[in-house]
Amino acid sequence: MGRAPLPGPAPYRIDLMEASHPGMNGKEPPEGVLVIGGGVGGMRAAIDLAEAGIHVYLVETSPALGGRVAQLGFMFPTHDCVLCRGTSDHGFGCTRPSITPALLDFNRHPNISVFTSSDLTALEGEAGYFLAHIRRRPQYVDPALCINCGRCAVVCPVSRPSGFQLGLSRRQAIDKSAPRSIPDAFYLLERTETCQDCRKCVETCPTGAVDLEARPQELVLPVGAVILALGFQPFDPRLMPELGYGRIPNVITSMQYERLASRSGPTEGVVRRISDGKVPRRIAWLQCVGSRDQRNPYCSSICCMYATKEAMLAKQRIPDAECHIFTMDERAFNKEYNHYYQQARDAFGIHYTRCRISAVAEDPQTGELILRYPAGREHGESAPGQGSLREERFDLVVLAVGIRPPDKAVELARTLGIELNEYGFCQTDKFAPLSTSRPGVFVCGAFASPKEIAETILDASGAAAESMRILREHLGERPFSRAHPFISRDGLPPEREVAGQAPAIGVVLCTCGGEISGALDLQAVARYAQTLPGVQWVEVMPLACLPAGQEHLKRLAASPQINRLVVAACSHRTHESLFQRLTSEAGLNPYLMEMVNLREHCAWVHGQEAQAATRKALELVRMGVERVRHAEPIEKEPRPPAQAALVIGGGVSGMTAALAIADAGHDVHLVEKSGELGGNLHHIYFLAEGSNPQRLLRDLVNRVVGHERIHLYLRAEVVGHTGSVGDFRACIRRRLATGATEEIEVHHGVTILATGGRETSVPRYLMGQDPRVLHQSELEEILAHQPERVAHLRSVVMIQCVQPEGTPEYCSRVCCTNTIKNALRLKMVNPECQVVILYKNIITYGFREGHHLEARKRGVLFVRYTEDQPPQVRLEPRGGHTNLVVEVEEHIFGRRLHFEPDLLSLSTAIAPTADTARLAKMLGLPLSPEGFFMEAHLKMRPMDFVDEGIFLAGMAHYPKFIEESITHALACAGRALTVLSRPTLHLGGVIAEVNAMRCTGCLTCVRTCPFGIPEMHYDRAGVGGLGCAAWIDPARCHGCGTCTAECPARAIQLRNYRDEQIRVGLGSWQVSVPGGAMGPNPA
Amino acid sequence: MNDDAGFTPEITAFTCIYCAYMAADTAGALRHTYPATVKLVRLPCTGKTDIQYLLEAFEQGADAVYVVACSLGNCHHVRGNERARARVARARDILASLGLEPERLDIFFVSGGMGAPFAQIAQEMTQRARRLGPNPLKGGKRHAGRTHPDSLKADEVSPLGA
Repeated sequence: MGRAPLPGPAPYRIDLMEASHPGMNGKEPPEGVLVIGGGVGGMRAAIDLAEAGIHVYLVETSPALGGRVAQLGFMFPTHDCVLCRGTSDHGFGCTRPSITPALLDFNRHPNISVFTSSDLTALEGEAGYFLAHIRRRPQYVDPALCINCGRCAVVCPVSRPSGFQLGLSRRQAIDKSAPRSIPDAFYLLERTETCQDCRKCVETCPTGAVDLEARPQELVLPVGAVILALGFQPFDPRLMPELGYGRIPNVITSMQYERLASRSGPTEGVVRRISDGKVPRRIAWLQCVGSRDQRNPYCSSICCMYATKEAMLAKQRIPDAECHIFTMDERAFNKEYNHYYQQARDAFGIHYTRCRISAVAEDPQTGELILRYPAGREHGESAPGQGSLREERFDLVVLAVGIRPPDKAVELARTLGIELNEYGFCQTDKFAPLSTSRPGVFVCGAFASPKEIAETILDASGAAAESMRILREHLGERPFSRAHPFISRDGLPPEREVAGQAPAIGVVLCTCGGEISGALDLQAVARYAQTLPGVQWVEVMPLACLPAGQEHLKRLAASPQINRLVVAACSHRTHESLFQRLTSEAGLNPYLMEMVNLREHCAWVHGQEAQAATRKALELVRMGVERVRHAEPIEKEPRPPAQAALVIGGGVSGMTAALAIADAGHDVHLVEKSGELGGNLHHIYFLAEGSNPQRLLRDLVNRVVGHERIHLYLRAEVVGHTGSVGDFRACIRRRLATGATEEIEVHHGVTILATGGRETSVPRYLMGQDPRVLHQSELEEILAHQPERVAHLRSVVMIQCVQPEGTPEYCSRVCCTNTIKNALRLKMVNPECQVVILYKNIITYGFREGHHLEARKRGVLFVRYTEDQPPQVRLEPRGGHTNLVVEVEEHIFGRRLHFEPDLLSLSTAIAPTADTARLAKMLGLPLSPEGFFMEAHLKMRPMDFVDEGIFLAGMAHYPKFIEESITHALACAGRALTVLSRPTLHLGGVIAEVNAMRCTGCLTCVRTCPFGIPEMHYDRAGVGGLGCAAWIDPARCHGCGTCTAECPARAIQLRNYRDEQIRVGLGSWQVSVPGGAMGPNPA
Repeated sequence: MNDDAGFTPEITAFTCIYCAYMAADTAGALRHTYPATVKLVRLPCTGKTDIQYLLEAFEQGADAVYVVACSLGNCHHVRGNERARARVARARDILASLGLEPERLDIFFVSGGMGAPFAQIAQEMTQRARRLGPNPLKGGKRHAGRTHPDSLKADEVSPLGA
């Protein structure tokens, strides 16, 4: 026993470059992919590529990762807190997160180098062989040395408005954008402008991390592909002075509202007026600020939903709040969005008024805002209330600002040599939606077109897949391991055997440069720790996380006298992976190391009462020692994945996914139910954008049929599917030409569901009763193949949103654009023909709004109808024949309109294919209320299922356009390649285990598990030797422990959280105040 | 610490490693202080909150016990926090049947950014325990780590309180 003296703070500095290039150590940088932009899209793309064994350079212009999403409080429609889900904090400890903890400083994926405060200055070369020139601005604080104590910000004399909080609060010149930012360090910006060069921060920093002499760095990186994830710029509403932003203090932007409603915002989630701190009672949201106007003639796609979310949050936080949303259309066009909107309207009582507000006036006495708008335009309200002008007062007006291209788009486009579209976003092709005009440069997220998080995530994984195609020779080239709770390169030493040895515990107490030792008596804690059973060694260290400390800790863990370790330092969240890694490097199983948080949970929150803090430290250390005494080594199960993919469905999604995986060199089994490939693409003859879908169909079919890696099964169904990621088996039943069937068994590592959707037939509006009533797709056939018939049409009416009565209403997303496409074609062929579109909301999101505008310009009549007053369709005799009559209430003039069209085309709902429910049952997958497959998470994991190794693409997810299906399919392929490119998967770890000898087969765990994983196995003998005990697949268990807490026989234990590990010190404290007698109280 | 004059409650808080642990970290990063007699027990998810752990904490002498979970609808394991809420309700019934005040046990839902509310919860539970006085089980039977596994069953918990 004893305390070895240690050297002071680290004797050498880690070079910034080396810190972010784990494993490079001065060698040539590896060939990889450059990802520009560190928001959710960039982070997602980086992680997919890294997981596929390709090196990634993630370049972010600001000092921290997270992008716009890190500034949001909650996501629609799940109301998930974005704080963790949107940043890599989500998944701390979780084995199956969206954006994994692989970006946390001490768990950085070995295949990712992060460069913050960095910009691309040039890109030479061509696809596969680019040289990227990066300029890295200094942040003046070395993240490898910063311990986040915040002393520099305390002494910093200069403050400035916080950009992260959108100017709603101030921060010091040297500070952190948010407590959990990545890199997890302070930084100094604008040294020359704001900083007074007083050097107080340099003097106060306990680790010497502040270096005001830091200089910019120029880097040249060899990359095979580039992914642009630049994000967007919110529209600046000062360009619309009539709305008062910047002039009237209680007019704020939606981004500012997000900060006010965020728990990490300046008001910790309490929405207050900036002017007087008053909680607003009446709040108005003005939609389409900077969208759907002369300046920005496109739809920003996200504002309707985020305003709905913001209004719902207001109603939740301020019970008597009154929320009004002024909007032209309510564009709730994704899975569950319509339900969300209905809830907002009906359950939350949020008022939606169909109107665009043209000016905001202020009452200077009260600070209230005055809006004028036509009455009688709310929800389904119809004409009678119209005509009068209403004037209302509000406490707060939120401008739902639209999406503009990123500020640097023009400059960067010039640097990269890529084209921008007419609106300043990245130019892409309909059938190559992630490719820019320069080969090898891909785009994802809002820089391609305005879009929400889920679609950005799909783009990102899809762009990763496109990059993998170029770098297919490099897939799996840079192996890494998830054998441990942290991500590592292979090559850790073999683990020492500790079974049968009495626990011999080393306790390390970190002073944290005075942050811990200054707030409590660490020497007293050390003296106490020496008295605890099993403790062999106790020492106080200055900074366990810095290089010298790490080396010392590793030597200690490697000592043969020690077989368990307690590190009492800071947060598990930020540092557990570091200390687990050091433990592993010393040859001990990482689960034999236990951390105790003496900083965030003790010193920093009890700093005013040293004696009480010391007593708490004693108790926490006692619990840590007890816990590690009962710890057992935990190993994961290695599994080489079967090198093949199963793709179910041969439409555009299935074929695209199959090609991307096959091109990477893996076998693909492509199963199509019908006799030919192509699915719905067979019935699409032209597109609003002008491209030829039949050419796409021919290209895809030719490539699939001719691909040596794709095994095609036509007239075939998957009738059996078992196993887990990397080790699935499926039974394919194929009908032969003879009428007989054959069954084929395949062994594969991943499964992709691309089973598609179908236009439904709804017996409304005389559908099926009169030949003049058609599906929109049938009208398209006539437009494509019977121009002479089109030339004779005098009048055509189109009805949108035709759903079977009594079924859940949802937006089928593609119909409005499709209808407008047909209307435009009709007007082109026959300009004299009257074309009338009866609609509820026109959903032409993104640049599709251009087609809506075009149709209105060409004289297509748009008439809104409401749910309460749907159009009336009937037959009326006129002379010798019967005319089709359509009547509808027009709400602006309050008149009943009467049409007698030659044709009536209906946009009916798009439903999942008939096979969806059967497959869901067979694979044990959930369905959404609309009957589509339900992904793992609506926003963050739109192509994954909770069950690893199974992915979802195309219309099986939700109705979508061709380009969206292609993106979705590529995203699936990218995710699938992260599994197939790895030599070994590691499954299990911290999972629940059933002791069959105690299992009574009561099914409680089967019912309790949130993921449906426990199964009853007849060949496992339960309690008393009776048959049928529960079994939990270690490859699928998420390790939440819910079943263990519910099992009435206590037959299930969760590894690393076994009862004997948790039951230590649950109750009163077994330590006395320092200065009194030491040691546990006698029981 | 169990004299009437200067009674300082000793409190056990169960947290998941997601939002709740992060909220505690945020409280630390922002230096929101709370009484130093609250200690945290980490669980992988509050779905792991075993009624036995809650009862054992009282049996081992905690003056108040609470669970801090992710916001409702935000559980990282779908609905572990809702399970925890149901178990806390059940355990409160058991406490009442033992003659212990059910308010000694509670559950709170926070997001990772809620450092100040996290500290307020610790203060509130401390005040509540101070008002209720020391846990009457404290100093009595102590079964630390030796409780029979079957004590989870509600009907067999009563002997402990006798």
